[in-house]
This record gives sequence, structure tokens and C-alpha cells, in this order.
Amino acid sequence: MGGKVTCTLGEVKQRADFIIYWGGNPAECHPRHFTKYTIMQKSKFLPRGRKDRTMVLVDIRETKSAKAADIFLQVRPGKDFELITILRALIKDQPVRDEDIAETGLDRAAVEDLVRRMKGAKFGCMFFGMGLSMTRGKHMNSAALLTLAAEMNAFTKFVAMPMRGHGNVTGADVIMRWQTGYPFGISFNRGYPRYNPGEFSTVDVLVRGDCDAAFIIGADPGATMPQPAIDHLARIPTIVLDPHITHTSRLARVHITTAPQGISAPGTAYRMDELPMPLSPALKSPYPTDEEVVRRINEAIAKKPFWLPDGGPSPHQWTSQVNL
Amino acid sequence: MIRITGGKIYDPAQGIDGQVRDLCIDDTGKIVETVSGGRIIDATGMVIFPGGVDVHTHVAGGAINFARAMTPEDHRRTQAFIRTKTRRSGLGGMAPTTFATGYLYAGMGFTTVNEAAVPVLSARHTHEELADIPIIDKASLTLMANNEILLEQLEQGEYERAKQVLSWYLWAAKSYGVKAVNPGGVKAWKYGHDAKALDTPIDGYHRLTPGQIVTNLARICDDLGLPHPVHLHCNNLGAPGNITTTLDTLARLEGHRAHIAHSQYHAYGGDGWDTMCSETTVLAEYFNSHPNLTTDAGVVLFGDTVTITADGPWQHLLYKLTGRKWGNLDVENETGCGIVPYTYRPSNVVNAVQWAAGLELLLMIRDPWQVFLSTDHPNGGCFWRYPEIIQMLMSAEFRRECLKKLPDRVKSRIKLPELDREYTLLEIATAMSAGPARALGLTHKGHLGVGADADVVVYEEQVDIQQMFSHPRYVIKAGEVVLEDGDIREAPQGKEFLVRPAMDPATNDFIRPLFEDCYTMKFEHYPVELERIEHPDLRDCQPPATS
Amino acid sequence: MPVTLRLKRPPIVPLEAEFLSPDVLATLSHAEISAMIVHHGKRRLPLSEFFDVEGERSEDLVLHGELHKLRWVGRGMRRGSITVHGTIGMHLGAYMRGGRIDVHGNAGDWIGAEMKDGTIRIRGNAGGQIGAAYRGAMSGMRNGLIMIDGSAGLEVGMRMRRGTIVVGGPTRDFTGLQMKGGTILLRSGAEIRTGAWMQRGTIISLKPLQMMPTFTYSTTTTPGFLPLLSRHLAPHGITLPTGPYQLYRGDRAVPGKGEILVLA
Repeated sequence: MGGKVTCTLGEVKQRADFIIYWGGNPAECHPRHFTKYTIMQKSKFLPRGRKDRTMVLVDIRETKSAKAADIFLQVRPGKDFELITILRALIKDQPVRDEDIAETGLDRAAVEDLVRRMKGAKFGCMFFGMGLSMTRGKHMNSAALLTLAAEMNAFTKFVAMPMRGHGNVTGADVIMRWQTGYPFGISFNRGYPRYNPGEFSTVDVLVRGDCDAAFIIGADPGATMPQPAIDHLARIPTIVLDPHITHTSRLARVHITTAPQGISAPGTAYRMDELPMPLSPALKSPYPTDEEVVRRINEAIAKKPFWLPDGGPSPHQWTSQVNL
Repeated sequence: MIRITGGKIYDPAQGIDGQVRDLCIDDTGKIVETVSGGRIIDATGMVIFPGGVDVHTHVAGGAINFARAMTPEDHRRTQAFIRTKTRRSGLGGMAPTTFATGYLYAGMGFTTVNEAAVPVLSARHTHEELADIPIIDKASLTLMANNEILLEQLEQGEYERAKQVLSWYLWAAKSYGVKAVNPGGVKAWKYGHDAKALDTPIDGYHRLTPGQIVTNLARICDDLGLPHPVHLHCNNLGAPGNITTTLDTLARLEGHRAHIAHSQYHAYGGDGWDTMCSETTVLAEYFNSHPNLTTDAGVVLFGDTVTITADGPWQHLLYKLTGRKWGNLDVENETGCGIVPYTYRPSNVVNAVQWAAGLELLLMIRDPWQVFLSTDHPNGGCFWRYPEIIQMLMSAEFRRECLKKLPDRVKSRIKLPELDREYTLLEIATAMSAGPARALGLTHKGHLGVGADADVVVYEEQVDIQQMFSHPRYVIKAGEVVLEDGDIREAPQGKEFLVRPAMDPATNDFIRPLFEDCYTMKFEHYPVELERIEHPDLRDCQPPATS
Repeated sequence: MPVTLRLKRPPIVPLEAEFLSPDVLATLSHAEISAMIVHHGKRRLPLSEFFDVEGERSEDLVLHGELHKLRWVGRGMRRGSITVHGTIGMHLGAYMRGGRIDVHGNAGDWIGAEMKDGTIRIRGNAGGQIGAAYRGAMSGMRNGLIMIDGSAGLEVGMRMRRGTIVVGGPTRDFTGLQMKGGTILLRSGAEIRTGAWMQRGTIISLKPLQMMPTFTYSTTTTPGFLPLLSRHLAPHGITLPTGPYQLYRGDRAVPGKGEILVLA
């Protein structure tokens, strides 16, 4: 059923002789990615650095990153899932017709060359960006690439990793996982964590109007979410914690200015490969940190009557009942 | 202050075998001779153990957190912890969430656990997670047997340097000891290979062999005077016929202390899956004649679980065998891990052999101070199922019932049907508390003598052993009653045990250029600061005087 | 007399009432039903806050109102019937084991998710993940019949193992995603990626489909099992042309042995 086969960026730096960027434009969006982690680095396994590595860019248009690539493959918009699925078939020597390959915007020669190079690599790595994960097919596009990487391990070493950005989104994901078992899209309304992306994910909750208050921290949904979600945020009491006045702040009832993370607030941030990095603030801020604000809100809430009836099931009351 | 009266005390370290005595606990959370005033707990007719100690478990860090994300289907069918005023919400199951982990361990009377596999790179993450596991005390071991900077020193025969480098890493990770997983094999996996023979140089090295890594790590741990010896996951885990590798590995440990992790997975004969059989007799014999070694059984229990291990090549094989999900995470320079959900079935001959082998080791290694209760959580089964193992150890009758569920063709491949031994309560207390505490070098744990930490568990004596050990009447942690009548009453924060080995200050400058060559973060950001550890219990280590 | 619930106060946030199932209501008095606790967001309130309740101790449940925020109705039900006049929210008949659900209106996502048996009919449109596996689970519906007269959303029949889904209107992307068995009948076709990563099972479409590149045309045929399926569906007023159909096999990426039949 696939899964996720990945590594830390240092492994890529040291070993990856074959790198694919899919639906991302690191030259402009993650400008240090090439130089710090991937194609430009020399290592004891790849002493000639760039010369020892092959870089393939797959995207719907020729971005600045294409200049850095050895091979640029222009996939037709909305055909990423089909192309990855074709690759999954071809690595297993399953037949695919020329005209079906052509539908993706590439020809057989280019696709077969890619398969040959993937299998010939000693250590392959695929990075994928929002051009893959946020276009039609969404999570299934990411799942396709992760599955392809997992399946490539029948032939050679291969890993895949999302190119994540936007602050400490990975950190939120990591911590939610250890506290609740789930990365995002979690509801606590029954007193224990439940998970269902599409039902509990923020954008879906807002679009359906399923919440009657919003607390926004480290994000600006007012700038990025679809209009019905933004309309709902304006309708309900919305509280924003942010160092800046954001689009969301403008439609919120309450904005609390907080110290910017990493600049004047300490803590830990998780890199896109889930490695924790300590933040060492260089400046002092007159504003409180997010953590302090949340702690004080928590203390105020603790003084109110408790919202759940006390005494849930105790440890070891093992039941076959399926949670909601 | 608490006085527990009338209970039958089982304290193996002091040789107390069920005598009725009072147990007194002072306000600092220690066992004392006597107290005046305070709460009196009437434990008449009850059984008192020192709090359980888990010598080998995986409860925090990148790998188990990866497993949590991979198994939402298990979270839905598992026990949910509903939030209360004193308890946070969480989920139990194959890979419990942090808060639930604390409640589940304390809920069955365990008060100290050892997280057995931490890469230094994600040690910061692991400590943050450990801080979110309430009630219990914690220690963690650092993965060292595939660390390329360390291996390079060993390759060059620089023993002293290697020792300094290892000390530096332990302190950087704020660790309690050294874990070695598939020495050389995880390193080889980074190019899709493995290390199976102890005397064949490792992929990418000219001289260094897995066997040399084993010997050197054991020696370094002894020379540094670490409280816990090298904690070794041998090469060739899970493979038919791996008993040869295991015995060969143990031979490299002559003259050193060592703890062999989940030895069940390393005790197989046969030359393929069709002929795989249990070879626990020879392995148990080896332990019986080598008091320098301890082990934990790594028992397999039938049912669903998720396997997580730093043994990447094994996990890829398991993924190919099951066709289910597979997670893999290689960590630069240091290690890697693989995650595969798995169901152990009694009808599967291989699984049945594994199930029997774990119990056989517990029954055939004679000294309970040498072999401890574990499932290598969550690999062989989840830790909250330990009471099932206790029942099997204490009742030969119950084991015979279980054996009936196995296919007949298994019977010739296992020894379990011939074993009549039944553990006494004292032996159970040794295997689940006193023994692991001693192996970990935690002198104030695992016993109820004056000055010990007041981690105490009180069971109602019952015929149904599993019920008895699943539902203690009271659990006391550091003098505080945390569980009473089946409910978590308090969820205090436990301690974290750390060691500071002696180290040449020049090591920092030696490592810096090597580090900058292969890592991708700032050198200064790499070590976990001591301030980042909540409730540290730090011990300075000195080399033993006679070494 | 059935237990009849009429919505009197529309919920502001989702209302979760997984006990609204004939198995539970069959044993309860009027007073007990009225006092059953529903979850309105995090608040626990009696059912009577939101509904006028009529009847008691019945294996038949009738709901009236715009209930698109009402979730988990008929969860795990084994017998009896539920009839909805109006709309209904997510997870209707999830984990269902038997009985019948009829909705005269539209329904939300996850209808009949992971159901084991029983019959669900939606007269209007439905959302996505019909008869699907919940996230991370290996299999979706194991048996039973789901009929949607109108359109349906994404991932219809995702990882289903057995049973039948019929959709009258068009479905969106990923219909029959990672299907492992069973049958999906699409009367008005689907958008894209139908049958993606299929292992086994059958998708029948009466309208042309955009095929995944990893499906291969095999033959044009009149499959022998169609009369059987017709007979299975006839009592529900659903008819099926006998063919011929173009048979495609895939998904070769898996590689799988699924079949997609498109009416020629």
C-alpha cells in the first residue's frame, strides 16, 4: 500500500547522485536548497559535487530552477498523477502505450530515459512541492510520488520528501502527532483526539461553517483560503496571534501582537526533514511570545467550569468499540 | 507521608519473598525506616512490588512518531483517554500518544522506562516528547553502531579517539547510554545493502567489521564506567539461522558487560522460512554460563502491532513480505529506521516459532536477574500487554492452553511444550523490576530498601494473574499515589536520567570539521542544552579504578 | 409506529448523534430517547433540545429537516430502517452491518464508509468517499449495497472489498481508487482517474470514461455476470443494458487485475 520512505537532508547532501524536483521551484522558493543540501555539495561519496549528481526538474512550466537542472521534463498541467502512475508501471516492466504517455506531455524516449536513470542511480531522492501537492488530486499526487519512491527500493535506494515551508508547519505536525497520534485535521470535541482530513481540516471546517470561533496562530488564512472560508472567519469571533497585522487580523475581532519566532522568541523549529533546530533569538521584543499568550489564556480558561464530565474510561478498559 | 501496612512484600534485591512488613514513604518520595502520621494504606492480603522498570521500549522520538502518523486506522479502534481535570487526552494502541503512554505504563505499575533508540540528531525531539510522557521516569540510549565519524576512528584503530568521540556524542544527546543496532548494517543500508557476517568488512570500509564494532563499543562502555553496558541489537535480526551470528556476537563480548536486546529475534535455526525453528536452548545455555550478560526477551504476542527498528534492511524485507505500508527514515551520518505495521498470527508457523522462542528464553535462562520482560514495544507486541506474558510465565497450564492454538507442524520446531517451569512472584518481581533496574545501573530503582525511590505498586492477589497485573490497586510514584482503584489520580512529571562521561575537552575541536563535512546543521545547534531537559537526574561517570 | 424526529432548532455547529440507530432506539422509551445526549460541538445536550420526538421502542426511525450538520446517523446499525426526509450529514450508515437507510434528499461525505452489509439509498446527491475506507484503513465497504440517484464526490468506493455502489449522476475524481473488489456502477460516468491503482473489482460505466494510461483495452464483450447484477438491482428499479461493453484491465501500476467495463 506504499508508505513513506525518506531521510534527513544530510543524507541527500552526502549520497544522492540522482535528484528529482517535482512541482517545485527551489531556485526561487527554497533558494538555499541547492547549495546547502542537494546538487552543489561535495561529499566523500560524491567528491566532484555537482558533476557527480544528476538533477531532473518536473514541472508544468520552465521556471528558474530549470536552469540548474540537467533534464527538464515539462508535464502537461493536471497530468502529474498520470505520469507518476505510468512510471510506477514502467519500473515494473508493465506496458504503457505511446499515445497514453504522450497525453502527459512527454514522449516515450524521455520517460524511458528517466526510468533508466532512476534505476541506475545509487541513491535517488525526490522532492515535491505545492505544484504537485496542492493541484488537482492533492494528497493522492503526494501519495503517488511517495509510493513510487517506496517501490523504487526494489531496484536501488530511493527516498522522497515534501518541500515544506511557511514557518514551523512541520513542527506543528510533529507535535500534534506525539500528543494526539494525528498530524492535522483533528477534533477534540468528544474529549479525545479524532482525525479526518476533509472533515476536521481547517479549510473544510471554515468553508462548511462548522465552527463558531477561530483562534489563528502562525498562519494567515485570510490571505490564502477560499472566499467562503474567509467570509466565515469574518462572521465568527476570530482571534489572531501574529507579529504582524495580517489579512486575517483585519477581519478578526481580536489581534494580539506577539514576538516573532526565531528573531525574538526562542524555541524549537522542525526542518522539512523533521529535524529539530533550536531557535536562538537575536533581539528582544516588547511583545509576549505566542507561548506566553497561549499559556495565559489557558490559565484563564482553567478558572472556568470544566467542560467535560469528569472520569472517562480508565486505563486498561480495553474495548472492541471503534472510536468515532 | 505514607505507611503501607499488612502487604506481602516482594523485594528481590533484599531477598524479601512475600514477608508481611510495613513500608514507609517520606515526603521527599523515598523509602524510609519509619514515618509518623500521614496516610495509612491497608494492604492486607495484597502483594507489593517495586515499580516496574522497562529496560527496552520505544515510546518517544522520530521513529515512533512516524509510526503514529502511519497508523490512524489503529488509533480509531483503540482505547481513547478522555480528558479530565488531571489527565490529558490521548490514544492507546500500537503506538500510544505521549500522555497515554504515561497513563498506560503507570496503569500497570511500571514507573521507569528506557527509550532504547535515539539518534543524536533528533535527541532534541526525543527529549521534548519524553517531557510529555507523564508520571514515569525515563532514560534514553543513543544509537552509535553506525555513526560514520565513530566508525572512521575504529577503522583507523584509534581506540582512545573513538572513546572520546562516543563520550562527546552521549553528552550532546543528553543520553543515558549506548545502543548498538545491527552494527555496520544500517550504514550499509544507506546504499541498499546489509551487514550479515561479523568478520566481513563493512560496506565502504577496508578493515572495520561488525564484530570489531561490537567488541569496541562494549569496551568503551566499560572503560567510561557507564552505568548501563552496551545495549546490543545483534546483526541478522529475524533471519532464519541467525543463531550462528548471535553466538558469534556474544563471543566477542567475553570479558565485558553487555545487554542483549530482544534476544528472541536472534535465536532462530533453520536455513530458510520453511525450516525456521527455535534455537533458544543454546542461547539460554550461553547466558546461563555467562553472568556478564543480561538480556530482555522481546516476546512476540499474537495480534496487530507496528514494527519499528533502526534495522532498515529488515524492514524493507518485511514490507515486501506483507505488502502493507512501509515507512523508512535514514538519519544522516548516524542511523536510520524503518516502520512496518504487522500482524502476528498463531496460524503462521514463523510467528508461532517467534512467540514460543520469547517465552522459552524467559523460562530456560535460569537466573531472573539475567532475563527481563519485554516485547521490544511495539515490535513484538505493545507494552500494555505485559500482564499476558506474566500469566504465561506463571502458569504452565495456561501455556499448554495457548499451545493448542498453534498448528501441529510448529511443535517439532519449538521447545516450549517441554518446559514446566513456573515463575514465582519473586521471580516476576525480578524480571519486571529488580533485574532491569540493576542492568540499567539505576541503584535507587527496582527495590524497596531504605533510601530507594518510593516507586511502589500494590496488587490485589488474584487467581486471574493477567487481571491482577493489569489492574494494580495502588501505584505510588516518588511517594505520590498516582493510581488508585483503577483511576489515574495524579499525573506528576517524572525525571530523566542522564550521564556525563569523562571527556577530553579537545574533542569538540576534533569533531567540528568532521561534523561540518557531513551534517547539515550548525555545529553549535547540535548538542542538546542541559536546560532543555525537564527534571534531569544527572550522573557523572568515572572510569572504574581497576580497568 | 416509528420513532420520528423533527428538527426544531437547527444546530450551529456539527451535531453528532451516533446513537440514532434502530438497534439502540428499539429498546428506549420516549423519555429516554428525548434525554439521549447529542454532542453539539463540544457541548452535551439532550436530543430534545434539537428535535421534537414522537414514538418509542421502534426499529424504524424517521428524520425530518435540513440535517446536513447531523453526523453519524445509523452508525454500525444491524437491523431496522432509517428514513430521512431532507438532507443528512456525514458518516450516514458508517460501519453499518444490516438494515436499510433511505434519504429523500442530499447526503454528505463518507456514506456507508467501511460498511459490512445493509442497504443505503440516497435519492439526491451525495458527497465523497462513499463506501470508502477511513484514512489509513486497508479496506472500505465489505458488503452491502449503496445507491445514489444523483451525483457523488471524490474517491467513491475507495479501497472497497466487496459489495455494490450505484451512482445515477456523475462522480468526481478517483472513483474506485485502490479498489480491491466489489462493483461500482456509474450510470452517468465520472470525471478523471477512475479506477486508479485498482487491484481487483469491477467498475461499469454506461457513459464513456477518460481512462487512466495504465489501463489496457482487452476486448469488447457481454460479461456473464451482468444478468446476475441486473437481478440484484432490479428490486430497486435499477436496470442495466446487457452490452456489449469494452473491457479494460488495470491498474498496471500496481499491477492489478481490476476491470473497467464501458458501454460500447
